[in-house]
Amino acid sequence: MIELKGLTKRYGNLVAVDNLNLMIPKGEIFGFIGPNGAGKTTTINIIGGILAPTSGSVMICGINMESYPEKAKRKIGFIPERPYLYEKLTGMEFLKFIADLYGVDEDVFLIKSREKLEMFLLSDWSDDLIESYSHGMKQRLVMAAALVHDPEVIIVDEPMVGLDPLAIKMVKNLFRSLAKQGVTIFMSTHTLKVAEDICNRIGIIHKGLLIASGTPEDLKRNVNETDADLEQVFIRLTEE
Amino acid sequence: MKDVITLLTPRICSFKAKGFSKNNTGGLYKLLLFGTIGLLFWGGIFAVSLHVLSYFKEIAELGDILACKLLSMVLLTFFFLLVFSSILTSLSKLYLSRDLPLVHSMPVPSYKVFIARWIESTADSSWMVIVYTLPVFISYGIVYQTGPFFYFNVVMTLLSLSIIASGISALLVITAVNFLPASRIRNICIFIGLCFFLVLFFTFRFLRPERLVDPEAFATVLVYLKTLKTPAPPYLPSTWAFDSMKALLYGNLTEGMFQVALSWSFAGLMVFMVIIIAEAVYFKGLSKTRTVQARLFNYRAPNSLFLKSLSRPVRAFAVKEIKTFFRDQTQWSQLFLVAALIVIYIYNFNVLPLEKAPIKTVYLQNLLSFLNMGLAGFVLTAVAARFAYPAVSTEKEAFWLVKSAPIPLKNYLWIKFIIYYLPLLILTEILIVATNILLKVSPFMMGLSIINIFFMVPGVVSMGIGLGAAYPDFKSENPAQTVTSFGGLLFMMVCAGYIGAVIIIEAGPVYNLFMAGIKETGLSAFMWIWIIGSFAIAFIINILAIVLPMKFGEKKLSRLLI
Repeated sequence: MIELKGLTKRYGNLVAVDNLNLMIPKGEIFGFIGPNGAGKTTTINIIGGILAPTSGSVMICGINMESYPEKAKRKIGFIPERPYLYEKLTGMEFLKFIADLYGVDEDVFLIKSREKLEMFLLSDWSDDLIESYSHGMKQRLVMAAALVHDPEVIIVDEPMVGLDPLAIKMVKNLFRSLAKQGVTIFMSTHTLKVAEDICNRIGIIHKGLLIASGTPEDLKRNVNETDADLEQVFIRLTEE
Repeated sequence: MKDVITLLTPRICSFKAKGFSKNNTGGLYKLLLFGTIGLLFWGGIFAVSLHVLSYFKEIAELGDILACKLLSMVLLTFFFLLVFSSILTSLSKLYLSRDLPLVHSMPVPSYKVFIARWIESTADSSWMVIVYTLPVFISYGIVYQTGPFFYFNVVMTLLSLSIIASGISALLVITAVNFLPASRIRNICIFIGLCFFLVLFFTFRFLRPERLVDPEAFATVLVYLKTLKTPAPPYLPSTWAFDSMKALLYGNLTEGMFQVALSWSFAGLMVFMVIIIAEAVYFKGLSKTRTVQARLFNYRAPNSLFLKSLSRPVRAFAVKEIKTFFRDQTQWSQLFLVAALIVIYIYNFNVLPLEKAPIKTVYLQNLLSFLNMGLAGFVLTAVAARFAYPAVSTEKEAFWLVKSAPIPLKNYLWIKFIIYYLPLLILTEILIVATNILLKVSPFMMGLSIINIFFMVPGVVSMGIGLGAAYPDFKSENPAQTVTSFGGLLFMMVCAGYIGAVIIIEAGPVYNLFMAGIKETGLSAFMWIWIIGSFAIAFIINILAIVLPMKFGEKKLSRLLI
């Protein structure tokens, strides 16, 4: 599970994230949506331990990220928006690199890596250098790498960018199945349909502030439009 | 023409934003620092040129021949430097830049994109060569007391030569890209250039120019001077430039103007030809570069017992680093350079004429051995600047993997340290032991050198990793070039200070110990206190050099926003 308490991040005078409080229980898929520059990626980076907050705390499965960053990161599978990878490694070598960093058992890795490569339709390219992969293939490889150590929490920034419809469907099913197994998923996205389809709860961030949070139905009730779709709700809540 | 100017605008705007922004005080300091260094270098070239030419001028008859030969050689070198530099720059600008898809998606004919890029490439590849050869030509003007037209002619000649060189390079590149992928051409060019440089350097070094000061070899020099009068090939653009400048040096205005006009007419022809050919084949070549290249060699994973014995995170980074290094063909040329550096370094010691020196050989051998520790330290700094300093920047934009990985940044930096420490230690110890064997030094000096280097290598590597972490450049296409940045310069300066300090602190005690050994006399208690104190201070400096840069790098890197 993920717990954010009073999370704030300032860049000089700009408040990118303002006193964010959230509690995402085990097995929940939480969608984080907001306009460009609202503070989504900053929040994701802080939860992933890539960025330090100005104030506030992040707890991952009860572990404080600031006090025990390595222990907390071990629980996380991090998937960034842009899949920058080591271009001179092959797909399989990259998975091995990640497995070594996370201390995955060698025998388990052999099974897991094949399983994940197959799941993300990368088996045929596993021995090719990453530099020859397309954007979508790189995105799928990052996802495979994030799952290779069986994380309890998945932090994912724009998961569907660059994926083809088949891969999007597969990722949606995968997230649902992982959540059923007790994995907590924190996902930022611009694809409101995806958020509506798979998220148990959705949070809307605007100018660094969490302006609404709840199930899609809760959000619709918030704007007094039970028949509206998430896009209409989003526009109503974020328009000036 | 309006389209071409518009296409050049982003470059001009980014240059303005970079250099003249009001809030850019850090940039101003860097500009000031680099400007001062550049100015000193420029002044140095000017002083040396003026001195050499004045010296030549004093030698009757022979002096003018030498000055002309030098001018011809400078212009020839200038021209080929421009051609080579233009090939690399135009390859990047025309075929490899990241913004090319954006530029080509705009409603502008591809030949106009080509022209804009070619103008950029010509300016980028030639400005530095022109700026740093100008002091040589100004020196000619001063020594030969020419009029102002000579200087105007110099500028015109250099500009025409730059356009010709850039035109030839562009023609070579746009033709070659249709047969080979652009990224591979760049690697091949760098490789060929390096080989060319090494062959030239080896040839020059093995000719042993130091023998020219030996009177017994003077007859050979006279024979050599005969060849100086051989005229340069008339079809080379550098020959027209030479003829033009030479004519004006001797006051022949008509001949000078004719030759510079010849050079400009060819430059005009080149511009015309390049644009015509580019219009026909540039876009086709560009489309070819957008396809994926095949692997040159199928490099397999290193699977040694040593790597297996490492802990998992260390092994992960070590294997990644080794594979990335050997699969990146641009890195290979660096290995050749290091190998050449070792050979030349050791060879220099092999040919030292110690027996001819007026100082006692045993004393000289050991003095050289002591100074050699400093020299080896500087060689180590140069190699570390190329390998250890960019080690963090080589993660490029994949650095998020390190930040999100369950290992502390401190451990990550120490892993990098270990990866580079071992090979650099072996390299430097080889250098020091091999040169000491050639110098036939005493066992005391041999032991001292080995121990000293053993403690200095971690200091230099730590500075490389630490300062490289403090001033990383994850966006650089070639992280090896980060050494030319502010952090790289700081690394060089700190290393020079560190090596110098250790050598100076140890100089006195080592001298006393060595002399006591030669004279077979004892040392006073004061001497022993001095010796122990000095070595203790040197040891403390070494420890600080290992610990402080790593802490500094870790602190700065952890605050970095990615």
